[in-house]
Amino acid sequence: MSKEIYLVIGISVLVLLLITFIVSFVLYVKTPAPKGCEDMKISEEKCASCSHSECSFYKKEGQE
Amino acid sequence: MAKGKTKQNFLKGIVIENPLFVSILGTCPALATTKTLEAALGMGILFTIVLVCSNMLVSLLRKLIPEEIRTPAYIVIIATFVTIVKMLTNAFLPELYSSLGVFISLIVVNCIVLGRAEAYASKNKVFDSLIDALGMGVGYTLALLSMAFFRELLGTGGFTIGQIFTFIPKAKLTIIPAPYTISLFSNPVGAFIVFGLILAVLAFIKNRKDEYKAYLVKQEKIKKQQEALAAQQANTDGGNK
Amino acid sequence: MSIFVSFILAIISSMLIDNVVLSRFYGICPFLGVSKKVKSSLGMGIAVVFVIILATLICWPLYNFILVPAGIAFMDTVAYILVIASLVQLVGLFIKKFSPTLYKNLGIYLPLITTNCAVLGVAQGNTDQGFTFLQSLANGIGTSVGFLAIIVVFSCIRVRLESANTPKAFKGLPIALITAAIMALAFIGLQGLFSGIQL
Repeated sequence: MSKEIYLVIGISVLVLLLITFIVSFVLYVKTPAPKGCEDMKISEEKCASCSHSECSFYKKEGQE
Repeated sequence: MAKGKTKQNFLKGIVIENPLFVSILGTCPALATTKTLEAALGMGILFTIVLVCSNMLVSLLRKLIPEEIRTPAYIVIIATFVTIVKMLTNAFLPELYSSLGVFISLIVVNCIVLGRAEAYASKNKVFDSLIDALGMGVGYTLALLSMAFFRELLGTGGFTIGQIFTFIPKAKLTIIPAPYTISLFSNPVGAFIVFGLILAVLAFIKNRKDEYKAYLVKQEKIKKQQEALAAQQANTDGGNK
Repeated sequence: MSIFVSFILAIISSMLIDNVVLSRFYGICPFLGVSKKVKSSLGMGIAVVFVIILATLICWPLYNFILVPAGIAFMDTVAYILVIASLVQLVGLFIKKFSPTLYKNLGIYLPLITTNCAVLGVAQGNTDQGFTFLQSLANGIGTSVGFLAIIVVFSCIRVRLESANTPKAFKGLPIALITAAIMALAFIGLQGLFSGIQL
């Protein structure tokens, strides 16, 4: 196989990864939490020392 | 934005909202790369470059990126800038590259960069984001330098320059003679101790300030009470006469 | 020496001698932030073990069979962070949908792992040091189990520290850091454990 084909494969894998990430991220945020876990929020206990930005990942979820 | 406000925006990253000492963010590189002043300075500069670039780009694109995919977009932007910075460092400062090692790549997962993009750059104009990033970057660099200062001084007895930044001449300043140095401070142990002690000193100063403020408020209250009492007294005295 | 023995030795060495938190400084943020209760530190640790091992299994072939032949090996950091982030989201999604009990215990820690230095640090370190697949796997297992062990032990100490009579200025993080320093001091004693053995 020539080098170009490898390059195309490599770039398409990267793009695929990006799409996977975006799709799974959106799906994760949109999926409702199972019963009994709705009230799980970012409490100060979990984020006390790393303040807000470690928690930015699921801030949106917490705000729901 | 007014000039005073810009200055305040810049200074807040250095003192009031210092990312390392106040928000306790980005602790991994702070402990790992502060063995020597030079390594700390190098880390601080690379970090500031990534923070400034990503903050500006995030701010530029803030109206284009849909709300739902913000975090993925920010991560990709930050990772791209880190890759660029990593390649440039490898090409022009190979000593810095090898001494920081994997921690250049780890700027991607540094809480501060993602945090600033999320909390500031996504809501503010490009210029404000630039100033904010500069302030945070300089604040972080100064914090790293202050840790490295104690670690290098106590661990090796002095300061060496020219080892990582090879374009400046090599020089060594010895303050503590070799038999009296504590090599523990060059070890991971020293990093934890120095960081813990600096945080304790800052907490001590803050406690003192709070106590003083509480004292002032209390004094004010007592003064007011006394005045009110005196006025009442005067009133009743006047009434009696 | 047989492959198996050196595999086990490599795991133990990356778990104890080069402990991820105390001598390599990965994952200090969750180490300090999520260690106030034993239960939460256990949840975080298990989630990290799971994600690190999965990420190592994916990142090594990705780098050696796709990125290197394509000549875009410099994109490794971007590729790894994408792998880790999607992995975290997918695992989270799976747990959220199919196992409420697991979600209740691990769910809140999963999203935090993306910004945990340990995961990217292991993947990037394997690449930078040119490890073989088995070495990478050993490094992944050792690092993550080492993280789990140290964060649980540390949280046990911290629970006691909360009720201890520490000076006011040292309350909270400063005393936790000093404790970590003493733990790191103990780990220095393990250096040279395998110095006579060729790994």
